[in-house]
Amino acid sequence: MLENPIKPHACEILDILPQTETEWTFRVANDRPVRHGQFMQLSLPRIGEAPISASGFGSGYVDFTIRKVGKVTDGLFSLQKGDSIFLRGCYGNGWPLERFRNKHVVIIAGGTGVSAVKSLVDMMYNDQSYAKDLHLIFGFKNTCSVLFSDDLLRWKNAASFHATYTLDAEEAEGWQKGLVTDFLGSIPFASFGGDYECIVVGPPIMMKFTGLGLLTSGVPEDHIWMSFERKMSCAIGKCGHCRIDETYVCLDGPVFNYTIGRSLVD
Amino acid sequence: MENTSTYHLQADELDALFAHLEEQYLVYAPVRIPSGGRYAQTDSVLYRPVHRYEDIEYRERSTYPMKEVLTPITQTLFYFTEDQYQESKPPAKDLLIFGRACDINAIRIQDQIYLLNGGVEDPFYKRVRDRAKFVLMECAQQFEGCFCCSVGANVTDMHAMAFSFGERDAQIEVSDEAFRDYFSQAKPSDYSIRFPEENELKVNYPVIDRMDMANRLKDHPMWREFDDRCIACGSCTVACSTCTCFESTDIVYTQNAHIGERRRTCSSCMVGGFDQMAGGQCFRNKTSEKYRYKILHKVYGHDARFHTGPMCVGCGRCSARCPELISYPATLNKLSRAIEEIQPEEVAHHA
Amino acid sequence: MVEDCNIKQMQNNCYRQSKVPDEFMLQLRVPGALIDAKWLDVIQHICQTWGNGSFHLGTRQTLNAPGIKAQNIPSVNDYIEPYLKAVECDLCNVQMETRNGYPYIAPRNIMACIGSVHCINANINTQNISHKLEKEIYPNPYHIKISVSGCPNDCAKAHFQDLGIVGCTRPIYDMDRCIGCGACVRKCEKAATRVLSLNDKHKVSKDACCCVGCGECVTACPTGAWKRPNRIFYRIILGGRTGKQCPRMGKLFANWLTEDSLLGMMRNWPKFSDWVLGGKPVYIHGGHLIDRAGYQRFKEFMLDGVTLNPEAIIAESVNWAETEYRSNIHVKPLSKHQTVK
Repeated sequence: MLENPIKPHACEILDILPQTETEWTFRVANDRPVRHGQFMQLSLPRIGEAPISASGFGSGYVDFTIRKVGKVTDGLFSLQKGDSIFLRGCYGNGWPLERFRNKHVVIIAGGTGVSAVKSLVDMMYNDQSYAKDLHLIFGFKNTCSVLFSDDLLRWKNAASFHATYTLDAEEAEGWQKGLVTDFLGSIPFASFGGDYECIVVGPPIMMKFTGLGLLTSGVPEDHIWMSFERKMSCAIGKCGHCRIDETYVCLDGPVFNYTIGRSLVD
Repeated sequence: MENTSTYHLQADELDALFAHLEEQYLVYAPVRIPSGGRYAQTDSVLYRPVHRYEDIEYRERSTYPMKEVLTPITQTLFYFTEDQYQESKPPAKDLLIFGRACDINAIRIQDQIYLLNGGVEDPFYKRVRDRAKFVLMECAQQFEGCFCCSVGANVTDMHAMAFSFGERDAQIEVSDEAFRDYFSQAKPSDYSIRFPEENELKVNYPVIDRMDMANRLKDHPMWREFDDRCIACGSCTVACSTCTCFESTDIVYTQNAHIGERRRTCSSCMVGGFDQMAGGQCFRNKTSEKYRYKILHKVYGHDARFHTGPMCVGCGRCSARCPELISYPATLNKLSRAIEEIQPEEVAHHA
Repeated sequence: MVEDCNIKQMQNNCYRQSKVPDEFMLQLRVPGALIDAKWLDVIQHICQTWGNGSFHLGTRQTLNAPGIKAQNIPSVNDYIEPYLKAVECDLCNVQMETRNGYPYIAPRNIMACIGSVHCINANINTQNISHKLEKEIYPNPYHIKISVSGCPNDCAKAHFQDLGIVGCTRPIYDMDRCIGCGACVRKCEKAATRVLSLNDKHKVSKDACCCVGCGECVTACPTGAWKRPNRIFYRIILGGRTGKQCPRMGKLFANWLTEDSLLGMMRNWPKFSDWVLGGKPVYIHGGHLIDRAGYQRFKEFMLDGVTLNPEAIIAESVNWAETEYRSNIHVKPLSKHQTVK
């Protein structure tokens, strides 16, 4: 009999890396193939299931950076190294890597949205010839909510990376103050000769205004990519929660080109 | 239908037939539940296993749809312990399900979601669907608010047998070879089963063939009245033959918090929390937005994905169950008018 | 010259004295407050032929014809005989003489809300039980005020009757049909006694002891997970009254009674009244009879010979709160006490 596609499997927590007080990275044993930008359904028996994007992966593991915002994630935060969590997936399309190869890549991410691009950024960090260069604008609410501090520093110092890190409403050394949309003007789109792609991921309101801001900066719609987050119960196109008209975010996304994503009205 | 035979059975023969069928099949049909209605001294009619011909309530449209047999309102998917999820047991017998043409056509739509969408088959649906056969219930009369003919759901060939119901007898048309043997002693008949040809209620089901029209309709003022009228109870979607949405929830046993079940429970886009993410954010907060989402899924979203027309079989249950007397066909008419309003504007705009 | 009228007798015949010495107002009983509309012609005819042309809608849901001259009462009584036969004898199975109008006024008209023949909130058919109650209390010389409400909303004001009947339901919960939407929980909180809550199984828990039996959960449920059982239940609210001395709202006397239990108890009312009043009917509120007898004696009388259904619960004691127009009105010389021993 075929494997039940929604049956979760126990996986060992290999490590827990607190990022902030409320956002931790769980490194979980995994042998299944993962693509950048995909997500998995994490279960805690008794508590339930939630879609979480893979913030990193490597041989034998996958990382999930999780914010404590719901009952599933609250439950996760009581686990320890060596405990099991249950996984199924991966699901979703992931980032269209080939579209980024040998181009200028712009990544604008807010809050936990950064975890949805972390593995991608790391891939380009480890292979700095993959893209022509990488322009990052990462925004967080305040210093307490900053994720991946060590990685941010590492990326900032990478030769082909141009990183702008912002805090919504706090002054701090090494940080700009303001929303990510305030810094779109700093990206030298004109110098890219049209040879670039933009990635936007974050809370829905941030993605909406960043998308509009990019259009204002003259970025063509089809150069913008966004990752959507919706409620999901099944991740296989059955439960209906993530549906927007004919589009199922779990099946057709979570990554959408802006030509499509723009017209997805819930 | 080609190669069918029809038989005329009397009450005692029908009881024998049901006893015989029950050897292999769990037989489901609409059953009258006294006092089961929303209001006092009203009954409901819903799907239950039946054992005798007379158990079947054929005189009335069932209050709740046939889909409940394949996708029960509450269903246990897995039992879990601390280190594993164990699938719940599949049904012990094959299923034989009585339904009208609209009900059977609705299964095609259920199939699209549960078996076709995304190229992934839902294992819990498939394991019952593969073992289900359908018995067509002839509609001797129309029910209030039926409009199957307007959406082409009045005819089907997905059934193994068809019943024309009488008080103490039935005409039975057999089209599936597997059932031929049950009738070796039965009296042949030249009765021919009829499908509804025309409904009193005729609905000009709107067609939305492109996303920008759907998106323009989302901003149309036609939805506003439903903020006041609709109470977002979800009765329409529970009663809907074609709605499929569900919720997954884990529960633990009271005496041992380490073991429990993962359940699938019928859900509704009309009910609060349907679109709520873990952080609390919702996308459709207003009742009018929820209602608009439901209607446009029926009219546009499903068709845009599967290209098979309305996600509606005209069974009329949604309107019949609405406690606020919101008529779905009336909403469709308003939608048609809104489409007409938008179209000339667009022509003018493009000119 | 003022005509010689025995106003007590005329009142007993359901003709009420008016300010005009020889004019009276007929009150036609409408037990359960629903009748064939054809009878409207009858009351109209009475009002226009023998009355003063006006029509009064009685506060206890009687059909009233004011301004009937005493001399015309025999004609009116002849005329209403078919109504009495149809409504009292045929509809309610009351055994009574119908030739001379109503034999008694003391058991007042049984009021009722429209009930389940129309109302979406009702749990019971208020007319059916009103008709059965009419048969138990009429005709008889002892005063009693009864009303029947189809649900605990109590539109028929059971709380202000001697014995107010409220139709209740004990909804059955089918957990497998529940989608955990919380509609019943919200409805119960908003409209009733907040006995429902969503539990950690995403289903509904019920604090059954405080359920008023309104059935709002059934009405609110989108899936039919809540269902009224095939049986209906009654509540009796006891000893409510209006009046100049000590008006008060009734209190819960009996709950979750089946029809047999209810009718069995109501059948005992005339016996109780007869005992308290020593066989001499007085037109006073039932609450006063309970005051004189004491609640415990009342309870014994009412339960006499009644086999209660297992769900039924009865008040062990009742404490009414009266409007004290005059405080300590109950404190008086022993010689004035009316307590019956």
